[in-house]
Amino acid sequence: MLEHILTGFTNSMMPFNFLLIIVGLTGGIVIGALPGLTATMGVALMVPITFAMNPISGLVMLGAIYSGAIYGGSNSAILINTPGTPSSVATTFDGWPMTQKGDAEGALNASLLASAFGGVIGTLFLLFLAAPMAQLALKFGAPEFFWLCIFGLSTIASMSQGNVVKGLISGALGMLVSTIGLDPLEGLPRFTFGSYSLVQGIEVIPAMIGLFSFSQVITLVGSKNKFIAEYKGKRGATLRVAKKLWKDAKANLLRSSIIGSFVGILPGAGGEIASIISYNEAKRWDKNKANFGKGIIEGVAASESANNATIGGSLIPMLTLGIPGSAVAAVIMGALLAHGIQPGFKIFTNNAELAYTFIVSLIVVNIVMVFVGAFLIKGTARVLNVPTSYIGVAIVSLSIIGSYAIRNSMIDVMVMIFFGLVGYFGGKIGFDTGAMALGIILGPIVEDNLSRSISIAGAEGSVLKVFFTHPIALLLIILTIVSVMTPMFLTKHRSKKEAVVNDEA
Amino acid sequence: MKKNEKMVLIIGIVVILALALTGCGQTSMATKEEYPTKPLSMVIAFSAGGSSDIQARIMQKYWNKYVPEQPWVFNYKVGAGGAIGFAEIAKAQPDGYTLGGLNVPHMILQPMAQGAQFSIDDFEYISQVVTDPQVLAVQKDSPFKTWKEVIDYAKANPNKLKVGIVGTFSGHHMMLLDLQDKTGIEVTQVVYKGAADQNAALLGQEIDLMIGNVNDVMRSMENMNILGIAAEKRNDFLPDVPTLKETGLDLVSDIRRGFAVPKGTDPEKVRFLRDAFKKIQEDPDYLADMKKAGQPTDNMSGEEFDKYVHEQQEYNKNLLTKFNLIK
Repeated sequence: MLEHILTGFTNSMMPFNFLLIIVGLTGGIVIGALPGLTATMGVALMVPITFAMNPISGLVMLGAIYSGAIYGGSNSAILINTPGTPSSVATTFDGWPMTQKGDAEGALNASLLASAFGGVIGTLFLLFLAAPMAQLALKFGAPEFFWLCIFGLSTIASMSQGNVVKGLISGALGMLVSTIGLDPLEGLPRFTFGSYSLVQGIEVIPAMIGLFSFSQVITLVGSKNKFIAEYKGKRGATLRVAKKLWKDAKANLLRSSIIGSFVGILPGAGGEIASIISYNEAKRWDKNKANFGKGIIEGVAASESANNATIGGSLIPMLTLGIPGSAVAAVIMGALLAHGIQPGFKIFTNNAELAYTFIVSLIVVNIVMVFVGAFLIKGTARVLNVPTSYIGVAIVSLSIIGSYAIRNSMIDVMVMIFFGLVGYFGGKIGFDTGAMALGIILGPIVEDNLSRSISIAGAEGSVLKVFFTHPIALLLIILTIVSVMTPMFLTKHRSKKEAVVNDEA
Repeated sequence: MKKNEKMVLIIGIVVILALALTGCGQTSMATKEEYPTKPLSMVIAFSAGGSSDIQARIMQKYWNKYVPEQPWVFNYKVGAGGAIGFAEIAKAQPDGYTLGGLNVPHMILQPMAQGAQFSIDDFEYISQVVTDPQVLAVQKDSPFKTWKEVIDYAKANPNKLKVGIVGTFSGHHMMLLDLQDKTGIEVTQVVYKGAADQNAALLGQEIDLMIGNVNDVMRSMENMNILGIAAEKRNDFLPDVPTLKETGLDLVSDIRRGFAVPKGTDPEKVRFLRDAFKKIQEDPDYLADMKKAGQPTDNMSGEEFDKYVHEQQEYNKNLLTKFNLIK
C-alpha cells in the first residue's frame, strides 16, 4: 500500500497534473463563491473535458474542483452573508459578524485553513478506513437518517438562544415550505394551489439566496454606510490565524473533521448537515459558548472543516460500493464509468494506480489550496472596498443569475425574491433566517425518511421497534435530548449565577 | 440637443433591428428547404452529468459528424422527475429547432397520475435510443436464491416482504404493481429518492428485494445477486442473468429513452431528423461509445417508438386502474 501511496504522490506532482490541480482549485473556488453555482454544477461541467485526458489526470482535476468549490462557498458567506453553496450556511453564523467587526481577513483565512485541514482528515479516512466506513454507511437506514436530521434540527434550540420560540416557529415554517411539491410516499402534488410550476417543489438554493443575500441587499439599501464593512488589508493574516487556530481550536477542528467524514459517507446527507452539526458541537464543547454567533474564528473553523471533510467521506461508498455519497461523487462516478472503470472494492487492486493517485492527490490538493486560497483572498476581500451601491447591484444580478441557473427556470427567480422579502421583513420581527434555512434543507430529508420508516414499520409490525431499538438511532436520540436540554440548563445555571452575584452585591 | 441626438440614435438602432429581424424572417420563408440554418436546442429533462445527458452527449458527437452545419445547444430543464423538461419540448415552437430527450414510462405516467401539462400526443417521435430493463435484485447473503422463492415467501407472509423502488409513478412502481398483479402477492413498498440510497438500503438489508435498472446494478455485482431480468431476451451487460420470461413469469418492464420534437413540426424536418438519427445510431463508433459508457443501446425508428409509447399508455392505464391509483 505504501508503494501505491508513493506512486500516487509522484503522479500528483507531475507537472501536468499539478497544473490541473491549480487550475481546478481556482475554478472551483470561483464557482463555489458565486451563489447558485454549486460544486455539482462545476464538476459536471468539467466532466466532458476529462474525456480528452487520461483518467488519472481527469480525476485529479475533478477532485480539485470539488475541494475548491466546497471551500469557495465560504468566501461569499463571510463577505456578503450569502452562502455560495448550501454547505456554507453555518459559516455565515460567525463569518459575517467577523466581517462586520472589520476582521473579514481573519474569517477568510480561518475558513481556508480549516477547509484544508478538514479536507486532509476526510482524505485520510478514505485512504485508511474506506472498508469499515463503507460498512458503517450501510448500517444507516431510514430511522437513523430521520434521527440524524432531528438532531440537526435541534441546533435551532441552541442557535436562537434567548428566543427559542421564534427560532422554532421559523424552523417549522421552513419545514412547511419544504412540503410543497410531490409527496415522497404517494407521489401526489401538495400545496401547489393548482399551479403546476410548484409541483417540482421549492428549490433549496434559490430560497437560501433569497433568505440570506437578497434580504441582505434590501438591508444594505436601507443603510447609510458607504461600505459593507471596514476592511484594511494586513500582511501575515494567514499566519496569525494559523497560530490562533492551533492554540484554541485543535480539538474543535479534529472533532468537526471527524463529524464531516462520517456524515459524508451517507448518501443523502452532505456538507450542509455536517457543517451545522459541527457548528453546534463546537459551541457545546466550548468554554465561552455565548461568544458563538458574535463573530469568532472557532465558529467558522467548525463549519468549514466539517464541510470539506465530507468530500473524502462521500467518495468512500462511491469507490468501494459504487454508491455515491453525494451528488458530486455521483458525477465523478459517471466520469469513472465513462472511462470504463468499474467502482467497487476491486478498484483498489485492479486500478490501484488510479485509485491511490486520486486519493493521494486530494491531500496534495488541500495543501496547495492553502496557497491558492491565500492568494485569492487578497482579491476577494477587496469586495469590501467597493461602495455599497455597486455591491448591491452586483449581488442582485448574481442572485438572479444564480437562482435561474439551478434549473433554468424563472420560477426559481420568483422564489428567490419572495424569500428575500420574507428574510427582510421577517428579520424585523425577530424571525430567524438561519432556522428557516435549516427547516428548508432538512425538511425533505426528515419527511422522506419518516415515511420510509413507517412503511418499514408496517412490514416489521412495530413502529416502536423501528424507531427506538436500532443502536445508532438510540445514540442519535440521546444526543438530540442532550442538545435540546443544554441551553435550557445553561439559562438556569446562568440566572442562578447572576442571582449569586446579585446576592453578593 | 444632446438628448435629442441620443433619441435619434436609439430610434435608429430600433429601426435597424426591426428591419434586420423582418428581413431574416423573409429570407427563411423564401428558401423553405434549407434546414437546419441555425443551432438546434436540445432539451434535457435531467441534470447535466446524468445518464440521459451522457447519452445525448455521445449522440451529439455523431450529430456533428453527419450534420456538421449546425450544432446542438444543450438546455437543461430539470425537475419533477423530468416532467418540466418534457413539457418544455411539447410546448416549444414546432419549427424544428427544439428537440429533446423523452423517458418512458415517465412521460406516460406524469400526465396520467400527477397532472403534468402535456400528453403523449404532443410529440413527433424521432427515434428510440436506449432500453434499460428492470431487474429483481437481492443482497449477496440473502436467503432467496431465485425469484420463485421470493414469491413463495411473500405468499406465505403477506405484506412482510420489503421491496425497494425508486419513485412513485415510475417504471419501478409499475413493475412492482405488475409483479403483484401477476403473482397475487402483497408486499410492503418502500420508496427511495434515487438509486444510490436504494442500493445502499439493499446492501444494508433494510429491504429484502429491490427493483433496479441494469445501468444501476451492474456496478454493484460484487454485493448483489440478480434474480431475473424483466426483458424479452438476456442483456449484454448481464449475460448470466435469466429473463423472468424464460423462468416462467411473463413480465417485461423497462425504462426507455428517445428523442422527439413538438407536434406540428414540418414533416420534411421530422424526416430529416429521423434520417440523421438513423445514421448516427447505425454508426459502429457510436455503438462502441454507448457500450463503453454502460448505455444499453436499443434502436427503434420514430414510427415504432410512437407506436410503443401508445401501447404503453394502455398498459399503464390498465395497471393503475386495477390498483385504484387513478380514476
